[in-house]
Amino acid sequence: MNRENGHTSVLVIGGGIAGIQASLDLANMGFKVYLVEKSPSIGGRMAQLDKTFPTNDCAMCILAPKMIEANSHPNIELLTYSEVEKVSGEVGKFTVKVKKKASFVDWNKCTGCGLCVEGCPVIAPNEFDQGIGNRKAIYLYFPQAVPKKCVIDKREERPCKAACMDACPVHTNVPGYIKLITEGQFKAAYKLIRETNPLPACVGRVCYAPCQEACNRSQLDEPLCIRDLKRVPGDQWNIEELEVPVVAKTDKKVAVIGAGPAGLAAANDLALKGHGVTIFEALPEPGGMLRVGIPEYRLPKKILHQEIGYIQKLGVEIKTGVRVGKDVTLEELKKDYHAVFLGIGAHGGVKLGVEGEDIHGVMEGIGFLRAVSLGEKVSVGKKVAVIGGGNTAIDCARAAKRLEAKEVTIVYRRSRTEMPASEEEVTAAETEGIKIEFLTTPSRFSAEKKKLASMECVRMKLGEPDASGRPRPIPVKGSEFTIEVDTVIAALGQAPETDFVKKLGVSVSKRGTIEIDNKTGVTNIEGVFAGGDVVTGPAFVIDAIAAGKKAARSIHQYMTGQPIEGEEPGKEPEKLSEEEVKDLKKSFPSRNKVEMREEPVKERTKDFREVALGYSPEEAGEEASRCLAGQIEGCIECHECERRCEPKAIVYTMKDETIALEVGAIIIASGLGLYDISSLTEYGYKKIKNVITAMEFERFTAASGPTMGELRRPSDGRIPENIAFIQCVGSRDFRNKAYCSSVCCMHATKEAMLAFEHHPGTKSTIFYMDMRAVGKRFQEYIARAKKEYNVIYIRGRPGRIEVDPENGNPIIWYEETVSGEIKGFEVELVVLAQAMVPQMTKNLAKILGIGLDEDGFVKVPDKLLQPLDTTRPGIFACGYVHSPRDIPDSVTQASGAAGRTAEEIASLRSQGGK
Amino acid sequence: MNLEDIIKETKTYYCLECGKCTAVCPVSRHNSNFSPRLMLERALMDFEGELIHDRELFSCLACYACSNLCPSDVDYPVFTQKVRNLASGQGEHGDCAHSGTLLSLMRLMSGPDIRQKRLDWLDGCHTSQKSEVLYFVGCAPYFEPIFEDIEVSPVSIARNSIKILNALGIEPIVLPNERCCGHDLLWTGDVETFKKLAQFNAQMIKESGAKKIVFSCPEGYRTFKLDYPNYVDLGCEVLHISELLVEKIGQNGVKFKEIKKNVTYQDPCRLGRHLGIYESPREIIKAIPGIKLTEMEHSGDESICCGTSAWTNCGSYSKKIREERLFEAKATGAEVLVTACPKCQIHFKCAMVDKGAEKGPDIKMEVMDLVNLVADAMET
Repeated sequence: MNRENGHTSVLVIGGGIAGIQASLDLANMGFKVYLVEKSPSIGGRMAQLDKTFPTNDCAMCILAPKMIEANSHPNIELLTYSEVEKVSGEVGKFTVKVKKKASFVDWNKCTGCGLCVEGCPVIAPNEFDQGIGNRKAIYLYFPQAVPKKCVIDKREERPCKAACMDACPVHTNVPGYIKLITEGQFKAAYKLIRETNPLPACVGRVCYAPCQEACNRSQLDEPLCIRDLKRVPGDQWNIEELEVPVVAKTDKKVAVIGAGPAGLAAANDLALKGHGVTIFEALPEPGGMLRVGIPEYRLPKKILHQEIGYIQKLGVEIKTGVRVGKDVTLEELKKDYHAVFLGIGAHGGVKLGVEGEDIHGVMEGIGFLRAVSLGEKVSVGKKVAVIGGGNTAIDCARAAKRLEAKEVTIVYRRSRTEMPASEEEVTAAETEGIKIEFLTTPSRFSAEKKKLASMECVRMKLGEPDASGRPRPIPVKGSEFTIEVDTVIAALGQAPETDFVKKLGVSVSKRGTIEIDNKTGVTNIEGVFAGGDVVTGPAFVIDAIAAGKKAARSIHQYMTGQPIEGEEPGKEPEKLSEEEVKDLKKSFPSRNKVEMREEPVKERTKDFREVALGYSPEEAGEEASRCLAGQIEGCIECHECERRCEPKAIVYTMKDETIALEVGAIIIASGLGLYDISSLTEYGYKKIKNVITAMEFERFTAASGPTMGELRRPSDGRIPENIAFIQCVGSRDFRNKAYCSSVCCMHATKEAMLAFEHHPGTKSTIFYMDMRAVGKRFQEYIARAKKEYNVIYIRGRPGRIEVDPENGNPIIWYEETVSGEIKGFEVELVVLAQAMVPQMTKNLAKILGIGLDEDGFVKVPDKLLQPLDTTRPGIFACGYVHSPRDIPDSVTQASGAAGRTAEEIASLRSQGGK
Repeated sequence: MNLEDIIKETKTYYCLECGKCTAVCPVSRHNSNFSPRLMLERALMDFEGELIHDRELFSCLACYACSNLCPSDVDYPVFTQKVRNLASGQGEHGDCAHSGTLLSLMRLMSGPDIRQKRLDWLDGCHTSQKSEVLYFVGCAPYFEPIFEDIEVSPVSIARNSIKILNALGIEPIVLPNERCCGHDLLWTGDVETFKKLAQFNAQMIKESGAKKIVFSCPEGYRTFKLDYPNYVDLGCEVLHISELLVEKIGQNGVKFKEIKKNVTYQDPCRLGRHLGIYESPREIIKAIPGIKLTEMEHSGDESICCGTSAWTNCGSYSKKIREERLFEAKATGAEVLVTACPKCQIHFKCAMVDKGAEKGPDIKMEVMDLVNLVADAMET
């Protein structure tokens, strides 16, 4: 064996207690150690245990100092989330290829703070908790993980482009909250939406949903009903239970003018940063167009009130009935506040410019809707005509229908294609019996006895496109006709009322809109910001919210002395390629959308009840499950973690990395696995809820486990007072594992003692074959269990476990072999001592070039003379993978293996090897 | 053969006395005097007298629930069979129900000169003197008059088996002087008589020229498949009728008409745990349109025995076993309990109509043999 060019470093495979011990021993001797562990953290099985026998010390308390020592030792390099792929060479000079799995988190930047985990919408069973608890797609393996770094369980590419997020003006995490809805996590879904949108339930009723237009699913069958899903969390969960975060208050104050969506959004974001906010609202009620523009049957005021109420809970003060420019001036506000935001919207009506429009009975649309919404007395006649083609016109028509009108007709000068109103609204109006006269315009109104009696109209035809890009309507000569009407509502548009800002010198366009820097929301006057309809002219709620948020960001930067930087523009929504659509159609059969149920037409027009009934939880789950992004297991690339990570450690594009290590020797310490006992159907495991395994028990009683240390049984969460432990499940069994797993007699006793400690008086019965208490003080431990912890031992292996369907109690049939008594024994919880197997696959053994015995344990050349060697020189083994043993014996053996390894490669050091 | 030889031959010294066998045994559940573990313990501790002279030695049903789970892989039923043989040599025997009629009939058939008139029920069936296939009838013609009062017709199973074979294009040989397969005698320790029956059957089958023997009775099937080779040379393949049917169904060679029924299925011990045939009967049932099959709480290899084996030691414990099993069948919501063994059908019906059975009315349901169900579905 030529060792002249050997290496004096060692590879240790397995970061459990044995691997850690061997690493520390070798490192302390001066050798360099690479500790490879396939899970994200070292610690192994011992980290999963609650306590250890026979001292009943806390497992983590003993283990953690060793984990930290291993992490910080200058001679130890931890390679967690890594696996050995190839081993070549011989003792003294092995070359090992190690695959470092992509964690998608830059561990040089990650601080393990866990903010990412809070926001992740994907819930998956937690392997560390043996599947009884949950983790997220991004997770910290366990609270004391070493290294304390997050990993993302990302298995495949997201099947769609998440065009929804790019299309949304506020880039709401759509795949994220849809995923949460599929999981029934309504509170979490509401909170996630609220990260980008302070009015989820309102917007979920009225948004024009650019997300749906962009939805990639539409390339397969139909787009997701994203808006309809958005209101589900608010419907299914009481949003008044939303907690108010504690935020450190600053000394800054902001005046927001206008309590519409733009102002509310700005106020929300500023309050969450700790600033004082006062909103000045001219109308008697807050909400802007949400309150006075959109009728009750589309957006119930109660919902709006609740969501505005939360913003007020954040500390935002809303002063209604205060008109800035009249009751207080803009200049005064500019003096008294550190910044001012103008979000006054566009509430002015637009005149028809038609003869007779001053006749009593002709009214303006915006004013009409405002009056109806504020509960003022509004009278409409029997025959109503609404002039206009936008959503406002539809709202006026449907509102009029719900008042005294018998016939309602919409008169619009272009055709259906050019109508700006949304298709759904137009369909809803027609369903309610509202007629639409296309290509028609009023030319004159006539009165009878000073009241409106008729309207003269002329037909239009479409000509060349005008300034708006739409075909210009041209009157058709000789097509005049008259309609009998007693009420006309003109809904031609909305105009901003901005005269009062001119005194301060705020720049206003010819149309009357306030001019701003589009990136930041600043006006030409320092400290004055604006956004929403007052800037853009009439647009949509979500655009106003986006503008308010943008301005809030700028205001915050301005008030805290930072340069005002606009946000980077997002990317355009992407479509799927034809190839991609073809592939997807193979995996996803066509599914139509779930239709939103509505109040029956005849009934609903009698009053202003909400028309859309909202999805039931089942309908929501069904529709949400159509979302392509959410179809994959693991991470759905919703970017929520990326958004929240302050050190910017998320790297979706990370790839697996393979490195080559040169080592002189290898120690295998890969530990124990848990045998799959599903074939032992007599125990009812997985069929009977209250039959669990010993490792699951550990996770229940462990303080950092899914139940925070409470032993609550699975079926009903009750604490069991009568527990049975069944030994040798899969062990000492010719049909499964013929050998004895060595530690179960002791761990069952331990667990019985723990159950008593958690809940004094608990009675535990251990069904055993033999009690194997071979270690120091082990027999005394068992005696103590019998004497002080109410533990009874019955010799016998149960043959059948049944369950009482009423209380979920398992019933155990056994023969007590000492007395010959045969009986059924009812308990509240059964704990199975699951057989343990060496954590070593045939594949890994092949890679390492070592032999295994027939049970998969590492084959040892000579049990007496070379007990820690494997069949390949230079490779040694210790711990459970070597043979069944407990923790102290594993640690002892690990030190032995370290010694043996040092023996082999120490000579290299003196020869000047590296 | 002495007890020590039996222990060595059956390797029962591996027993660790864990008691799992007793815990799962249907007899032990209701009869605490019987414990398989205790029986073995007596053998291993050399308490031969207590073992051989205990009445409960003949209570084992040989259902294999125990050995199915035994961590030491002990074959308890074979051990029992051999010990019973030893015991019968010392004058011990179990109590044969129905005044010993049935076992006596089987012994009668071991006479060399016996002439039986056993084919009168063949109307509507086509048999042949020369065929590759022989249908083994079993003791059905004898059960028919004995169990008339409990509304079962074991002979209809035989008749329909042949009708099914006919529909599959087979006209089987039926032996006019067939002997009992000997199952009950073998299992109750009378190996000598069993040997005689086996020899007569083997000879007649050889003379018939058949190459395949088809069974509808699981006990006959098991005995010919696993036990006969130890004593005689058959030179034939043995098949259960469900295996034939399943093959034909797979080839789309069978047309079933719709039968709208909710059923459940009892795995016979001899077909299930003895021979590992669980799926083919289920496939056949599910292939009939309109049938809904709901499994009992304990099905497949966890199935519970019908409660009596070889007509021996039948008593109140046997009835309790049947009652519990029938409650399980009722709990599935099925209207029909489908059996695949003539004895299972007889034992379950007995529990329902026996005047001594208190729970009779609560456990009443239709009990139908698989063969009869298939024959109904095949009628055009």
